[in-house]
Amino acid sequence: MKQIGKPVRRNTQLLAAVLLALPGLALANADLKSKIDDPGNWAAQAGDFYNQRYSKLDQINKDNVGNMQVAWTFSTGVLRGHEGSPLVIDGMMYIHTPFPNKVFALDLDTQKIVWRYEPRQDPSVIAQMCCDTVYRGLAYAEGKIFLQQADSTLVALDAKDGKVLWSVVNGDPKLGAVNTNAPHVFGDKVITGISGGEWGVRGFLAAYDINTGKQVWKGYSVGPDNEMLIDPEKTMTWTDGELKPVGKDSSLKTWQGDQWKIGGGTTWGWFSYDPELNLVYSGTGNPSTWNPSQRPGDNKWTMTIFARDLDTGVAKWVYQMTPHDEWDYDGVNEMILADIKVKGKDTKALVHFDRNGFAYTMDRTNGALLVAEKYDPTVNWASHVDMKTGRPAVDPKFSTSKFTNPDHGPDVNVKGICPAALGTKDQQPASFDPKTGLFYVPTNHVCMDYEPFEVEYVAGQPYVGATLSMYPTPNSHGGMGNFIAWDAGEGKIVQSKPEKFSVWSGSLNTAGGISCFGTLEGYLKCVDANDINKELYSFKTPSGIIGNVFTYLHKGKQYLGVFSGIGGWAGIGMAAGLEQDTDGLGAVGGYRDLQNYTQLGGSLTIFALPNR
Amino acid sequence: MRPETHIETSGPSRARTEEESLMRNRQFAIAFALLCFGSATQAQDAQAATKTSESDKPLYTVVDGYKVDPDTLQGFRTWRAAACDRCHGANQEGMVGPSLIESLKVLTKEEFVTVVRDGRLAKGMQSFGSDERVMENIDKLYAYLKGRSDGAITRARVTGIE
Repeated sequence: MKQIGKPVRRNTQLLAAVLLALPGLALANADLKSKIDDPGNWAAQAGDFYNQRYSKLDQINKDNVGNMQVAWTFSTGVLRGHEGSPLVIDGMMYIHTPFPNKVFALDLDTQKIVWRYEPRQDPSVIAQMCCDTVYRGLAYAEGKIFLQQADSTLVALDAKDGKVLWSVVNGDPKLGAVNTNAPHVFGDKVITGISGGEWGVRGFLAAYDINTGKQVWKGYSVGPDNEMLIDPEKTMTWTDGELKPVGKDSSLKTWQGDQWKIGGGTTWGWFSYDPELNLVYSGTGNPSTWNPSQRPGDNKWTMTIFARDLDTGVAKWVYQMTPHDEWDYDGVNEMILADIKVKGKDTKALVHFDRNGFAYTMDRTNGALLVAEKYDPTVNWASHVDMKTGRPAVDPKFSTSKFTNPDHGPDVNVKGICPAALGTKDQQPASFDPKTGLFYVPTNHVCMDYEPFEVEYVAGQPYVGATLSMYPTPNSHGGMGNFIAWDAGEGKIVQSKPEKFSVWSGSLNTAGGISCFGTLEGYLKCVDANDINKELYSFKTPSGIIGNVFTYLHKGKQYLGVFSGIGGWAGIGMAAGLEQDTDGLGAVGGYRDLQNYTQLGGSLTIFALPNR
Repeated sequence: MRPETHIETSGPSRARTEEESLMRNRQFAIAFALLCFGSATQAQDAQAATKTSESDKPLYTVVDGYKVDPDTLQGFRTWRAAACDRCHGANQEGMVGPSLIESLKVLTKEEFVTVVRDGRLAKGMQSFGSDERVMENIDKLYAYLKGRSDGAITRARVTGIE
């Protein structure tokens, strides 16, 4: 196809990649890399730098996973949504919780708490995090545990005893700038983002020195070139079927007036890193407000994949998926780096399952758009992505902006938009299995009505500007989720397993030929990676699962674990006060039924095969 | 302009007393409110609060369940602008925050104002005290939510009376 039909150009790109590789290798964090290379550890939230969520362990495999039993459990003592997973490094497990963001270090020999840390945080941040107080986990490097608190404070703790080594403030929670993301260690830096797209927070990605906490760089998502760390001549983007420099004021030109200053583009996802290219990959969230008629233009670089140089933060390439967002389709979902065949050609790919319902396969070395296809066939807001312009072909029927459809705009309720603002997928990270070459994707299957309205910005107050009503995708299987196997080289669903509720749990694939994920009812499920409709194991944990499955070895034996603890956006209806509403489908919509399956409560369940 | 004498009173018990005295001093017949409640105590709370503090003007007027007077419509717009639905649900049915359909059957108006103004931080309810969009329209917001709680306003999305 046309996007890969330029062999000469690609050769020069490959050469550029090789040249770039040198500084990257020199800067890779040797300690963390060695911990990651030992499959007995789970040393990073995704298990590696690439967000693959794949383990080489195979003691638990498709033939014996059916015999798996609960080995031990741990209550975190915290209610609300438990996202992310613990880390395991050299016989110690590090467990985090939602607000108040406790940390426990457990000795895996005894499961005894070796140390604990609980930060003091102003409870007013709970409301700033509305609507759930999730936190997606810790990072590790060189004997330090990195905690990204809700109130935006980033802390380094001594992994041996939990003592604070340094602490730095990353944002102003009084203005709604809080954190839910896991920090990520790449090289000698800890990378973090910011939340608050519904508070008019201007998003950024920041790098801090792992040894001192000193900020090394900070690149905003929107605004002047120098503040975004965008080089008008060197930062590239996919334009008219090729990569071109973004040019001067690429963001400012796409905003009216000063709206960009409260323009969102927050950065609360899972980041990845290619040591050879020395590039950090991240996504930016929705433009603020949710009422698109208040912000004419493409609103760059919200809803964008950023590839930034780890040393300088300067963007090598950007790609905006949803220009002039009209549906809250944040572009923050994880960027998975995998070397796969794309349309038959070996490619250093970046694969991203966006909230907007399209799965993108990019050439991660340069930002070329290779594949963009729906990973839920019911996605209707756009018919397709134009591979030349890279822009979605928006169906005006589902537009909520007066600039896209003059009959729509503030106070017009647009019905039947698929997917809902939750996206075909939200933060729940997918996994990549190098054995099958496929991606295993936990998805939502939810549609919405969306009514934008005029809203005035007040510092430190919610700045939303739309009312949403969400419900299971009509004329489908009735459930609100699917677990799918995806071919990112062709842009095709290989298999789809319907689920009653959104699959809001990060999946894990292993060399044992299994793919495991949790469900909102609370089941940990493992399926055959070669046939995901073959459910090999299912166990009901104490609460609904929105955490990510992880695995490790202890004393030579493989364990597999997951947090349970219902909450997050899909599970917020569980928190309090649910009742039958008389107005048809509310925002909680079909999730109301969850109360018949599960209740709040955070705990960790660890599974293993029985001892002989 | 209606005076907001109750906003500055402190504490729920004092607020309740004033509310009760107001109730004694004025006679109302709010049939739809009474229809909703079995117990005498609940009925008193609801009845007391279906009037503004200093005038005989009805707290809200609703036709066909969703067409409301301009003040109540402004109350709905305040609800929307402050994004209350993010915690309390698009239909006030409750999500991470409690159901306001239920809460407003229990809270006095003064308690309601106090919670909105000061928040309940540990529970995740923020303070809207510095948000003029909300505080300048607190009576209207209350009227709208009370109408929803009473069951008189039958859908969350209201329009003006034509």
